[in-house]
Amino acid sequence: MFTEIFLFELKYRLRRPATWAYFGILFVYALFLSIGGLDGGSEKVFLNAPASLASTLNVISIFGIMLASAIMGVPVYRDIEHGTQNYLFSYPISEKGYILGRFAGSMATLFVVSFGLILGFMIGYAIGPYAGYEPAERYASFNLWYYLQPSLIFYWSNFFFTGCIFFALVALTKRIMLAYAGGAILFIIYLVTLTLTQDIENKELVSLLDPFGFGALNNTIQYWTPEEQNTLTIPFKGTVLWNRILWLGIGVLIFIFTLFKFDFQRFLNKKLGSKKEGIDDNEVSSAAVFTKIPKVSQVFSGSNNFKLLFSLSWMEFRNITKDLFFKAILIAAVAFLFFDGWFGNPTYGTPMLPMTYYMLEIKDFTYVILIFILIVFMTGEVLHRERGVKYEQIYGALPLPNWVIYGSKFWALVFVCFILVNMILISGLLNQVLQGYFNFEFAMYFTDLYLIEFPKYITYVMLAFFIHALIAKKFLGHVITIAIWAGMFAINSLADIDYNMVLYGYAPGYTISDMNGFGHFLAAQNWFRLYWLGFGTILTVIGLLFWKRGTDSGLKSRWKEASQRFGGKAKIVMGLGALVWLGAGAYIYYNVSMVNSYKNVKEGRVLSANYEKELSKYNYINQPKFTDIKVDVDLVPEERNATMSGVFTMVNKGDEPIDSLHINWGYDQLLQTELLKLAVNDIDLKEGKVYEKFDYKIYKLPKRMMPGDTVIMKLALKRGYKGFPNEGSGSDIVYNGTFLNNGFFPSFGYNQQSELTSDKYRKEYDLVEKEYSVPPQDDKWGLSNLLFNDDADYVTFEGTVSTAPDQIAIMPGYLQKEWEDNGRKYYHYKMEGEMDYFFNVSSAKYDIYKEEWQGENGEKVAVEIFHHPSHNYNVERFAKAVRHSFDYFSENYGPYQYRQMRIIEFPRYQSFAQSFPNTVPYAESFGWTADFSDPEDLDYAYMVTSHEVAHQWWGHQITPSATRGANQISESMAEYSSLMVMKKEYGVDAMQDFLKRELDSYLRGRAGENKFEKTLLDNDTQGYVWYQKGGLVLYGLQDYIGEKNLNNGFKKFIDSAAFRPKAPFATSNEWYSYIKEVTPDSLQYYLEDSFEKITLYTNKVSEATFKKLENNTFEVQLTVESSKNYYDGNGKELGSPKRANLLDIGVFQNDTIIDGKTKKVPLILERKWMKPGTSTFTFITKKLPVKAGIDPYNKMIDRIPDDNVQDIEEQELSY
Amino acid sequence: MELKIENLSKTYSNGVHALKDITLTIPQGMFGLLGPNGAGKSSLMRTMATLQQADSGTITMGDVDILKDTDKVREMLGYLPQEFGVYPKVTSYKMLDHIASLKGVSNKGERKQLVEALLNKTNLWHVRNKSLGTYSGGMKQRFGIAQALIGSPKLIIVDEPTAGLDPAERVRFHNLLSEIGENTIIILSTHIVEDVANLCKNMAIICLGEVVAQGNPTELIQGIHGKIWKKMIDKKELDGYKSNFQVISTHLKAGRTIIHVHSATRPDDTFEPSPANLEDVYFTEITTRLNEVTV
Repeated sequence: MFTEIFLFELKYRLRRPATWAYFGILFVYALFLSIGGLDGGSEKVFLNAPASLASTLNVISIFGIMLASAIMGVPVYRDIEHGTQNYLFSYPISEKGYILGRFAGSMATLFVVSFGLILGFMIGYAIGPYAGYEPAERYASFNLWYYLQPSLIFYWSNFFFTGCIFFALVALTKRIMLAYAGGAILFIIYLVTLTLTQDIENKELVSLLDPFGFGALNNTIQYWTPEEQNTLTIPFKGTVLWNRILWLGIGVLIFIFTLFKFDFQRFLNKKLGSKKEGIDDNEVSSAAVFTKIPKVSQVFSGSNNFKLLFSLSWMEFRNITKDLFFKAILIAAVAFLFFDGWFGNPTYGTPMLPMTYYMLEIKDFTYVILIFILIVFMTGEVLHRERGVKYEQIYGALPLPNWVIYGSKFWALVFVCFILVNMILISGLLNQVLQGYFNFEFAMYFTDLYLIEFPKYITYVMLAFFIHALIAKKFLGHVITIAIWAGMFAINSLADIDYNMVLYGYAPGYTISDMNGFGHFLAAQNWFRLYWLGFGTILTVIGLLFWKRGTDSGLKSRWKEASQRFGGKAKIVMGLGALVWLGAGAYIYYNVSMVNSYKNVKEGRVLSANYEKELSKYNYINQPKFTDIKVDVDLVPEERNATMSGVFTMVNKGDEPIDSLHINWGYDQLLQTELLKLAVNDIDLKEGKVYEKFDYKIYKLPKRMMPGDTVIMKLALKRGYKGFPNEGSGSDIVYNGTFLNNGFFPSFGYNQQSELTSDKYRKEYDLVEKEYSVPPQDDKWGLSNLLFNDDADYVTFEGTVSTAPDQIAIMPGYLQKEWEDNGRKYYHYKMEGEMDYFFNVSSAKYDIYKEEWQGENGEKVAVEIFHHPSHNYNVERFAKAVRHSFDYFSENYGPYQYRQMRIIEFPRYQSFAQSFPNTVPYAESFGWTADFSDPEDLDYAYMVTSHEVAHQWWGHQITPSATRGANQISESMAEYSSLMVMKKEYGVDAMQDFLKRELDSYLRGRAGENKFEKTLLDNDTQGYVWYQKGGLVLYGLQDYIGEKNLNNGFKKFIDSAAFRPKAPFATSNEWYSYIKEVTPDSLQYYLEDSFEKITLYTNKVSEATFKKLENNTFEVQLTVESSKNYYDGNGKELGSPKRANLLDIGVFQNDTIIDGKTKKVPLILERKWMKPGTSTFTFITKKLPVKAGIDPYNKMIDRIPDDNVQDIEEQELSY
Repeated sequence: MELKIENLSKTYSNGVHALKDITLTIPQGMFGLLGPNGAGKSSLMRTMATLQQADSGTITMGDVDILKDTDKVREMLGYLPQEFGVYPKVTSYKMLDHIASLKGVSNKGERKQLVEALLNKTNLWHVRNKSLGTYSGGMKQRFGIAQALIGSPKLIIVDEPTAGLDPAERVRFHNLLSEIGENTIIILSTHIVEDVANLCKNMAIICLGEVVAQGNPTELIQGIHGKIWKKMIDKKELDGYKSNFQVISTHLKAGRTIIHVHSATRPDDTFEPSPANLEDVYFTEITTRLNEVTV
């Protein structure tokens, strides 16, 4: 019995085209990913590394909810749908046999279908090396176990679990809707839960309760180095094991429950729970015979058709909005939108105020995906509505023109789109009101929603109508439409095709800013929307021609029908659409490809490669260096351009004479340049050799510059933006919020920073792998140039800047004078003393918040915060951080070199803060509108500001040389300084939170490394090393050897290296020597481990118990394990030294919360020398101990920081 | 006004040759289209109802080209498909009102009168506020005819309207159809001979996509007058008779089998003459083309 039903089911399913359609989709998708190269992490990780396969299979199995619902929902329902239940259940089959057979057959089908993906991967990864989209060495050789293992523990087990759910849902409720909508809803609930739980402390529990094992998997592999990702499968133990047992078990239980609960009798009742209304039809009225059917007048006019169009549209619209599936998806989509808004836009985990731009931006996270699906499904629904209830023949024979029926359905969807965009408005406003934010920016909402988003949704509707009209099968229509959308996404991201005019519905990305509104992005948006609406109109009319009215779906007759329908009206509408499409297209093409030059991703790489091949011969050539700069900058933010003229005093500081100037404008920029004047000692220079492609031009000097010679260069230029590009923000000069740096001006000579960095592509273009970007510590060129800019050492500076009359413009130096002339606002700045050649020009409508800091010795510094008028939420935090930083740094490192400190907000087109001499520009999204009301959240405004202020010492007093490792002097020192300011502010017992963040970022960074991890002494590119590792190591060091002691070393370094007038400039070795000097011999091992090597600890508590002693004290027994391993840059283990290490051991009470911030309460905190292995310690405490552990503050680098501390258990007393 | 079908042919994309060069003239009044299941009746009906295209041939009604000028046809068309559904949650009153407005009855007052009259006429008045999903098969069918009658159509096409109706319903349905004005073309397709015999002035028999006979039922019966013979036989003898005679139908009577045979002369003494009726006409035409028919 079971066997027959099972085999019948399986055979039936395997004959269904849908089964193979799913299989095919997965198969092709896998081919796409594997051949195109889905690039998740490091270039060093094989595309088909076991860890990558496991993650990919896991993630796809989550999306597979939909597949499971489609396949497992139908087997039982099919008998209702086809009416077979009436006789099928009268056969002598048992309920259990029926359910088991259908279940097993469908489950087998699900496994067959899902195998499509695995097969696709296997084949794709075998073809991949030969296909040429990715370099062959990124593919590892085939290993069946790497596919099988994650398939068993994640992929198929997830399908099994979700399959059980959907099978049970439909078998027990008979509602197929639960399977179809349920899939989407379950998926959404899961994603929401992921977001909700991301901040929960207990990661173990969360990942145990995650039904797909996603968390457990991620926690396991998140810190794996490329080497480990390439060689290890997911260990089937711990949380992963328990998670799988739990959820597979639940799946089995659900199925068993269904097996016993299922009942033919119940299933046969047409509607579960509701009684069928009986109708009495016995009444036969004699009235029928005598009734005459009255004559009525019929109107078949155009105006009546319009009336009908409107009323039918309204009816369709009402039908859609009454649809359960519509409601379910819409509620889910809006819930998503709302939660995304509610949880804000966290930076370092700290939420942001509910800014309007963010309320709008979140629509592109999940909402738009659900909306697209909704539009596709609802289009299918309306176009097949009559067919669905078999009313299509009556309806089709009614005297309604095609355009009325089709049009009514189309307009209904357009109304729906209007509702959908307004949901974004409602959710946004609701969020803002609930979070107490009342700065409603309706203009911003309306512009984005009605001018950009609404037309976008309409283009989705047009595509859906086109496909659904052409493909008269509803489900296939859904699949194809969604596949087209996903396909465009795949083409865009995998095949690197990014020309927006060829990707249906695409438009350049845009960023809304409070400072600059929609700025220069709006025009491109409008043109692109028009372009796609025009194209969509053509699609919609084609849809009308082929849309199936009536009963014949044969290709020939539909073609015939279409040619009949293609009459005057259709031609006019299609012609208009074509006109708009081509017109807008021409204008866009003119802007994107003629005014601006478009290069696709590949062309861009080729250009970079050629740049290096052709120009690297000029690397390290001797060029003059600026010593004094006087500039006049006329900003025209209204037109997004600037005219600049400058007088540059230049000296030949090298050993060789200089014959020509190499002016490098930087290639492939959106900026368009016009050189107005270039003269040296008042003699105009003539273009010599020109590398047009790279904007690299060589000018012969009128007179050879001998070493030590000084000349005056006069340079005038106009630079700015024209039209709009295919992509790119072009944010140097904008209507409000101009922020440009010295890169706006040309530089001298070859710039190594513009080379291709990815080794993957370097190999493709026959360039040698690039291990370092700057020369070694003893390189002569490196030692005689500064890291941030090789066009100057330290300079004196003076300048005038003009801007729009309602804006304030800022340059380096102290404001000397401001005036208005000719309707422009002018500011004259002059720097006192010297600065490194690294400056910015900013201009916007600013409000200024002012404070003054006064030092121990009476020195005064003006603290000025230039902010967007409505962004005054956190200005005092910035100011406080500046004051606290000055307190700490001037005491520990030496005096501040300027009399002012300016923090300047700039639009959120980029997200960072950067330290220029006495100026710190800070992105709009970076702290200004953060919500710091919960002290437990990281106050990154405080942390980052102190980091940037520290750069005034570490970067601008000691400017590192252009050698390997030198940037640690700038970044590690700034990070350390910031940690120290925080330690002073919050206390040592609150530091673990910060240290753990640093640790996490470091471990993540090295897991995604594309080349090899470098040490603190020679790292020249890796942020996670110079920020996070540097910060951690130096924090640990001050803890070992004393804060004062270490800072004294740093102070000596400052004394020796600040504003060093000439080479050799500071190197990491020099820095390291000051550190070594203050470190006792016993701890030199720590310096070697940390600075010269890559060292990871594995510290954990294995047992912690206590017993109460008689004198009301407690004896704590603590057993800990510790080991230390060395790694090479690829993450390969090198060895485990046996010598003892100095580590913290602590016993704690419960954490306490002081001023809202969690702090540890140590009873014992001692430093112990410990040999690798197990150590046991006994302590006596006076108060009840709660937790204990090794390295409890996470000062050491340890991949599982959470097991360093554990709760202490009371020992069983035995008498 | 007449409906003229000339050389109409249709082959579906799956290869089924549904209509083979059909030529028919349908005058005003009730016209019966008789044929076994799968004969092509519905294909022909749907083509006349503008729901599908023909490969070749023409259909005209007066000066209206039905295949091309679909908008015009639909304005004067009333159509009841063989199988149809309704929106289950809508009442018949609302649905009729809706369809009436779609059929161009834009005056509210007129529409109300019309809908009420139709509901009365089709005996649905007492259930006018019940949703269609609760209707029995007969009620649904009556609703179907009500909607087809909206707007005094000049061409009414009803496809197998009595299938699934009980005898009383069938009678009521016949009455309803026969009341419709004389100057309307009503095309009724069915495989039940009795329907045609009772109602139609003119008829055609189609089989395997071809018109095999057409004309006035009385004339058609006249054509086989004196050529139908019957005999009571044992069931096991049937095969033997089939191979020797053109057995057009078999009936059961009290456990014995009566066969009707078409033959110009009396086959032998054991056969008795049988008065010809429309059923005999139908089966005579069909049995020459299909293998076996049992009634």
